[in-house]
Amino acid sequence: MKIIGTSVPRKEAPNKVTGRARYANDINVPGTFHAVMVPARQAHAQIIAIDTDEAKKVPGVKAVITGKDLSVLSGDVMEDRPPLARDKVRYWGEPIALVVARDEAAARRAAGLVQARYQPLPVINSIQDALDKKAALVHQQNGSYTVATPPVYPKKHSNIADEANVTKGDMDKAWKDSDVKVKVHVSLPQIDHAAMEPRIAKAEILADGRVLIHASTQAPFEVQKLLAKYFKLNPGQISVTAPLVGGAFGGKAGVQLEILAYVASKAVGGQMVKIVNTREDDLATSPLGMGFEADIALGASQDGRIKAAEMRFFMDIGAYADSAPRIARAIAAQCTGPYAVPNVHTDVYCVYTNHTYTTAWRGFGHMPMTFAVERAMDELAEALKMDPLDLRELNAIRPHDVTPTKARLTRSNLGDLPKALTHMRQLIGWNGGRVEALGPGRVRVQGVAAFWKTSSSPPNAVSGALITMNSDGSVNLSIGAVEFGPGTKTTAAQILAEQLRIPLDRVFIHEDVNTQVDPEHWKTVASLSTYMVGRAVLDAAKDLMTQMLMVAASVLKCSPDDLDYGDEKIYVRDDPSIYLDFKDLALGYKYQEGDSIGGQLMGRGKFMIRHLNLLDQQTGHGRPGPAWTVGVQAVEVEYDQNTHQYRILKAATVIDAGKVLNPAIASGQVMGGMNMGLGVASREGIFYDSDGRLLNNQLRLYKLMRMGEQPKQYLVEFIETPQVDSAFGARPIGEHAVLAIGAALANALSRAANVSLNMLPITPEAIWRARRAR
Amino acid sequence: MLPFGIEYYRPDTIDEALKLYRRLRENHQEPVFYGGGTELLTRARLQNVHFDAVIDLKNIPEVRVHGRSGDWLEFGAGLRLTDLADGNLWPLLTATADRIADHTTRGQITLGGNLLSTIPYREASLPFLLMDEAEALVATEDGIESRPLANLVSDSFIKPGEFLVSVRVKGDEAKGIAYRSRKMTRQDWIDYPLVTVAVTRRADGSLRAAFSGWAGFPFVSSAVNHILSDTGKSARRRAQEAVAHMPVKALEDLHGTREYREFVTEYTLAQIIDELEDD
Amino acid sequence: MREFTRPEQISLSINNEPRNVVVYPGETLLYTLRGDALGLTGAKPGCENGDCGACTVLVDGVPVKSCLVLTAEIEDRDITTVEGLNQAPIQQAFLDHMAFQCGYCTSGFLMVGHALSQHVDRADEDRRIEWLRSNICRCTSYQEIADAVAAACNGLD
Ligand SMILES: Cc1cc2nc3c(=O)[nH]c(=O)nc-3n(C[C@H](O)[C@H](O)[C@H](O)COP(=O)(O)OP(=O)(O)OC[C@H]3O[C@@H](n4cnc5c(N)ncnc54)[C@H](O)[C@@H]3O)c2cc1C
Ligand code: FES
Ligand code: FES
Repeated sequence: MKIIGTSVPRKEAPNKVTGRARYANDINVPGTFHAVMVPARQAHAQIIAIDTDEAKKVPGVKAVITGKDLSVLSGDVMEDRPPLARDKVRYWGEPIALVVARDEAAARRAAGLVQARYQPLPVINSIQDALDKKAALVHQQNGSYTVATPPVYPKKHSNIADEANVTKGDMDKAWKDSDVKVKVHVSLPQIDHAAMEPRIAKAEILADGRVLIHASTQAPFEVQKLLAKYFKLNPGQISVTAPLVGGAFGGKAGVQLEILAYVASKAVGGQMVKIVNTREDDLATSPLGMGFEADIALGASQDGRIKAAEMRFFMDIGAYADSAPRIARAIAAQCTGPYAVPNVHTDVYCVYTNHTYTTAWRGFGHMPMTFAVERAMDELAEALKMDPLDLRELNAIRPHDVTPTKARLTRSNLGDLPKALTHMRQLIGWNGGRVEALGPGRVRVQGVAAFWKTSSSPPNAVSGALITMNSDGSVNLSIGAVEFGPGTKTTAAQILAEQLRIPLDRVFIHEDVNTQVDPEHWKTVASLSTYMVGRAVLDAAKDLMTQMLMVAASVLKCSPDDLDYGDEKIYVRDDPSIYLDFKDLALGYKYQEGDSIGGQLMGRGKFMIRHLNLLDQQTGHGRPGPAWTVGVQAVEVEYDQNTHQYRILKAATVIDAGKVLNPAIASGQVMGGMNMGLGVASREGIFYDSDGRLLNNQLRLYKLMRMGEQPKQYLVEFIETPQVDSAFGARPIGEHAVLAIGAALANALSRAANVSLNMLPITPEAIWRARRAR
Repeated sequence: MLPFGIEYYRPDTIDEALKLYRRLRENHQEPVFYGGGTELLTRARLQNVHFDAVIDLKNIPEVRVHGRSGDWLEFGAGLRLTDLADGNLWPLLTATADRIADHTTRGQITLGGNLLSTIPYREASLPFLLMDEAEALVATEDGIESRPLANLVSDSFIKPGEFLVSVRVKGDEAKGIAYRSRKMTRQDWIDYPLVTVAVTRRADGSLRAAFSGWAGFPFVSSAVNHILSDTGKSARRRAQEAVAHMPVKALEDLHGTREYREFVTEYTLAQIIDELEDD
Repeated sequence: MREFTRPEQISLSINNEPRNVVVYPGETLLYTLRGDALGLTGAKPGCENGDCGACTVLVDGVPVKSCLVLTAEIEDRDITTVEGLNQAPIQQAFLDHMAFQCGYCTSGFLMVGHALSQHVDRADEDRRIEWLRSNICRCTSYQEIADAVAAACNGLD
């Protein structure tokens, strides 16, 4: 049986090409109520009054809820966010009221009639504003909020929500030993996840007290736990279903609409209520990806060895902390990029602003961090007059090195970056970074950047798998990971089929997750599902086979050790003509006389992350994740020196996948990731005006890459250095292709335009400005 | 989805449409004339505009004309932008209109809707603004009136209760002209214009340029045309001077800053002049 | 003159079948299709603003963003939704090229691709790109989609 390593189609593929794949907004119960949020139209203001009288008069309106009606504060790390603004508003799209009505039109009409009176406060419109000594405070209470998941170190009377530090080695000496020093300041705007499916949640409170939630979420178990906590419910009362999700990218890992849906349902006697983001809500009211500023200083000896890295990262987390403190630690832990740097000092700050709050975004902070580091690497190469790829090769992190947080690296937990770098030379036809003239004002140039990432999961993350058998010997697999595109369910089914040595179409897996029937899975994030679910599936398969062999052994009157299996049969190893079919054992074996043994066979499997710890507050030392994924990316660009327009000709990735479980799905992930990373780098970014109003809350103005704008050629290559503790050696690869491709683009264009491009997005105007500012 | 209820009417004749409008007004309703609906529906969804009846003009034969009528090339206000491209009766119009929005949406946007849009761009107007003779046929209480399209952006171009039936240009003038139309955006192919420039070169060598995206409305400027036509100067020089003598300041918005708009407009004009004078 | 002033039962031709459905005058086609009566949820709301194309269906064979059209406008026209594609070449091409991940944009892209492959003579690359630019996919690299549509148009795979 060869299922691992083959390009089997996604299990749900036929449904997706026939319109039969159902997402949360496609499954509707007639009579469902609608809830609509009323967004703030101030970025920072004291709420004086919210007048809901007119809204309540609209026929069909059943309830209008404001922050006054709720005492909950939410937040998975620090509980700083009221689900509806209370006392003050902290960002322009913040929901200040929730209208619940019989139908959507009535709810929207009424929402338009809710009137708020505000006392405006100074708007903290940038990281600089926030750090000013005299800055207004986004949160007066900063430092006194309940901490839900330590660590987090808020600074009282400031806009600093958290700070993470890492130190290693001796910086003073390192600087003395450095012959060459470079400094880079980078600045990146907030960005949106822009999943094509806007976020949605439905809630219903049954008469028996059970709470049913349906949501487009990456974290159904988190929804269950947080709702239980906030509303003092028993987790078992709450059943969260996550059907197929229409893209997520980290944006559906937070818990926002689910809370509002629950509150809305409660307000109408437990009736089912649906709340669906408009695209405008999805961009301005639901969380974004953070904005970012960084100061990077690198020092190296004349031969190119990096001695010192001193870095300060500032995250524009917006108005609430959400998962920012975790992201800060992820950045701190990987701050050097995939390079062996003996001396490191890094500070990461989560900065509150009056921007839309932020959450995880594909890559969990590693994309902006990588951008900063990789720009500095290219500046260093330039200062050393070295080929940028050579510089990376020289400093590439290797087994036996330690990370900035002093985690030990092995071949298994790190993979092989030097090999990836070598392969990239071939793959893109590396020309050393030369600017090649093509004609008057037209040049062609390549850029390269490398990445690494680990999961930064909590040290107690769990996953599980349950297998039940059907009467014909086929199996059902139940896992807690959500399917939002990367083929998580298909991969799990492949692993199980391979393990049971049965065809893939004999494994049935349901598309949705239900917290009441599926085993717990931490969150479908951090590209960790294959690792965690994979291990749980292996465990469950083993459990199932042990049981099946036991029953078969008694029927066949031999020891289980005498038996082997294949082709849906259990047979005696030295005489395969003595066998039982899986189907004869699936629901219990029935002897000819009618008496039976065994019962339905079920396999249970579980997995828990091990050997991780929280990073030390002073030194930052600790082990942030089970393993790293390394890789390198490059682009080739044609650039017009007069108009500053450019076209991406090639985009390439070499990634150490450990083991490629499904080549077609894996290259799709990598190509899609490159496209997304290049989109971010070339056009995306949230705009605020001077009053903190979010200007581009529509896809008309928040520009995404479209057909024809993608690179002319995608090049993808996998190398396979097994991660030995993972199913079949596979490493996470889901997020990674976004990480360094933007930096590679900036590196290429910086050379082509002969100016440092340390900001995103790189539009022709951005290049033009940078050149003029020189 | 509209948050408020509306009535929908699809009259078959100009007269019916006019009378309907009056009747609805007398009933204290707020009717709007409806072309492709792409703007009315999106703005209504956000409650940026309110109306309670739409009068869909697309079934009126005069609103769908597309072709020659005597000396004129006539385009019904109800034609979709894709109809213009498919018919390609006037290549300059095709070139400009085919860069508006995206292909699917162009199959929904009407010429009339774009010309009378409340957004600043109205890119389909540029070719008309470049003609000596370009007229709008407007349905009024007193019958069909022809009005110069040069006045398109003035508030009084169409009064409440009137609607645009069609627009027309002189076939000889329109087709005997060399042209370029170029939409420049911040970065994306599908986007509002940073600036869209349409330029014609007449047999006598004179150049005219029309602009969308530069200001809050599309325009031509005789001063600018005069500068552009001064063949004694290099294309670059003319482009520079033209940009310096625009009748209004360039916009500054999220598509680009004022200075960058000037930069892009300048090199685009220079390129176009070179191309047109090389032909 | 067609006067449509209150909810009315109308007959729509959807996927070659007459369907009677009660419609409000101000209802968008997207809303009608996805409503409880028809339950054709293949067309997706992604922006309801004409920007994303996830709601695209065919009206008389031409792609239309169903969020930007009133059902009242097209009551006597032929509507095709993804549910009406019956083993069309474009569907197989999307499967062959794995031209989707999350699948949310897929119905819209399929409808544009179907129109290109069925209703356009010689849909060359430029034309395919120009039509497909009307839609957004956040997951794939677009190359998979471009390849799938090319295959369906050229009868290759
Ligand atoms: C996705 C998308 C992208 C876009 N990109 C661009 C772009 O790049 N460039 C650009 O210029 N525009 C762009 N637009 C805006 C577009 O121009 C307008 O939405 C469109 O022009 C409106 O045309 P319509 O036929 O749909 O008009 P409608 O929405 O029907 O009407 C628009 C206005 O015109 C009035 N009106 C319509 N027809 C008549 C008539 N015959 N007589 C009197 N009044 C009439 C209506 O009452 C209304 O006030 C884009 C729109 C969309 C949806
Ligand atoms: S929902 Fe219609 S275009 Fe996005
Ligand atoms: S497959 Fe997810 S948006 Fe296209």
